[in-house]
Amino acid sequence: MEHNPILVIGGGPAGLEAARGAAELGQPVLLVEKEPILGGTPILASYAALTPHMEDAETVMKRMVDAILEDPLVDVRPETQVTAAEGDAPEITVTLEGPKGSEQVTVGAVIVCTGFQHFDPGRETQMYGYYEYDDVITLVDAERMFKAGSFVRPSTGEAPKRVCFIQCVGSRDRQVGNCWCSKVCCGVACKEAIEIRDHLPDCQVFVFYIDMRMYGFWEDQLYWKAQEQKKVQFIRGIVTEITRRGDTVVIKGEDTTMGRPVEVPMDVVVLSIGMEPSEGSTKMAEIFQLPLESHRFIETIGAPMNTVSTTREGIYVAGAAAGPADLEDSISMAGAAVMKAAGFLRKQALVAAG
Amino acid sequence: MADPSPPLYADAKYREVPFEEKQRLFDEVTADMRWETSLYGCYECGICVAACPSARFYDFSPRVFAQVMAREDVHTFYELLNESVWDCSQCFSCTRCPRQNNPGGIITIMREVAVNHGLQSAKDALKAYSRIIYKIMSTGTQVAPDMLQPDFFPDWGPDVQQVSDHLDVWRRAIPPETLHTTELAWDVSEKTRMELYLIWKLTGNLEMIERIDEGIFMILEEVMEELLEEHGYDIDDIESVVD
Repeated sequence: MEHNPILVIGGGPAGLEAARGAAELGQPVLLVEKEPILGGTPILASYAALTPHMEDAETVMKRMVDAILEDPLVDVRPETQVTAAEGDAPEITVTLEGPKGSEQVTVGAVIVCTGFQHFDPGRETQMYGYYEYDDVITLVDAERMFKAGSFVRPSTGEAPKRVCFIQCVGSRDRQVGNCWCSKVCCGVACKEAIEIRDHLPDCQVFVFYIDMRMYGFWEDQLYWKAQEQKKVQFIRGIVTEITRRGDTVVIKGEDTTMGRPVEVPMDVVVLSIGMEPSEGSTKMAEIFQLPLESHRFIETIGAPMNTVSTTREGIYVAGAAAGPADLEDSISMAGAAVMKAAGFLRKQALVAAG
Repeated sequence: MADPSPPLYADAKYREVPFEEKQRLFDEVTADMRWETSLYGCYECGICVAACPSARFYDFSPRVFAQVMAREDVHTFYELLNESVWDCSQCFSCTRCPRQNNPGGIITIMREVAVNHGLQSAKDALKAYSRIIYKIMSTGTQVAPDMLQPDFFPDWGPDVQQVSDHLDVWRRAIPPETLHTTELAWDVSEKTRMELYLIWKLTGNLEMIERIDEGIFMILEEVMEELLEEHGYDIDDIESVVD
């Protein structure tokens, strides 16, 4: 059965898995990625080790890219964006803008894998002085340092003696307008805390949290490991403000389980920033006329038993474009989306053949 | 130079005590052979607090011990060591912990460290127990029948008066002869008392008592020296006594 190709938008974990899966089912795939390289956020944001198994991000993503690169069924278009779409599946005509100019292609189904973007801690409020203090960084900045091979205090270049993480920055916050949990930041913070204690055994590490959300196996793989083996200090209570004293930043907050005020200098403060809908996800929602759910991610219908179908037949979403997702979620959603897209196309072909 | 390890809390006490001193005592606790199975990590969930009889009546929380020690918060550890470590009744109801912690066990070890270092908190806490310590260490019994006096137990009713007035008779009504005692819970032979004394001495318990209550220690030594001498032993030649 000859079909129009499945359009996969986005070359991150979900998009790569969707493309691989579709090709394995014998479906031609058009994989569009706006950046010049494949791999998505783990590569573009310089992640060092992936949560929770600590495998090197480059290695993992290269494996995913290699799985589709030589496949004749997968047509990879880097530096290309979808700028318009017309018609309904299985006959959607999309306009692609790429290095070689504009092109119109007819696709049978669409899987949107445009992911998330990291919350910008300086955007909404300046309560943590992210753009003011060199020693206030984000989980992503920390990843960049790990990838470069050394975790240092940015203002001095020296090894820090005391580091703290502040959880839920940009998540679970009505003031900011993001009333969701970003799911992965607790795990990533534990992972980074473990890495800091491994690299710098003399460095004390604190995690200030509201709830540690270590679902499933992350509980003992990350949280217990950080607390019991690596002696990371978990303190329930969110830092209220960060001020400067001399050349150090001082955090102020409450230890809520002890009912005591915390006020202590830190060499480095790591803000555990969450996920927001990416610009690409919002744009694709507009182009394909996909409604957004109340948190501004792409709406899926039929939850909880259907995590990938949108309001439009033949158009699916996988990964963090549909809401905060870890890698396991994203990969699983990609598989489910491919299964539904292939099923949809097969049914359409059978109907057409009478 | 900035304090290398400042207290976490703005209201931290004992700021005048050097960090190294606190760390030394902390390390002594964690070096104890029981430590490894006393504490894993703390959720700060409070399951131990709701089970704790002391927490019901005092400003005391077994959770605080688990969480402070899990965090290795040396400053707050020192606060606990000098204060609420003595508010625990050592009933171990707190061991119903999902992480399998033993807050009461942490307290056991901390108390021993406090006593071994003769901390003022240990002296204060144990002052009221002098009589009990003396009785246990010299006889092996603690609660004596003659403690049952009507003035002390008005809520026990009129029977107390009756029993107290004729304690000797009541005690003799109990069949085993070893219970025909009024000043001790039961009759303790001199051999047993000497053996007990040697156990206290050889296990270092007497040294602990000396550090926190020299008066009681001296009385004990004197009484036991006399007893040993009566039986032809020399207290200063402990080796021969053990043989």
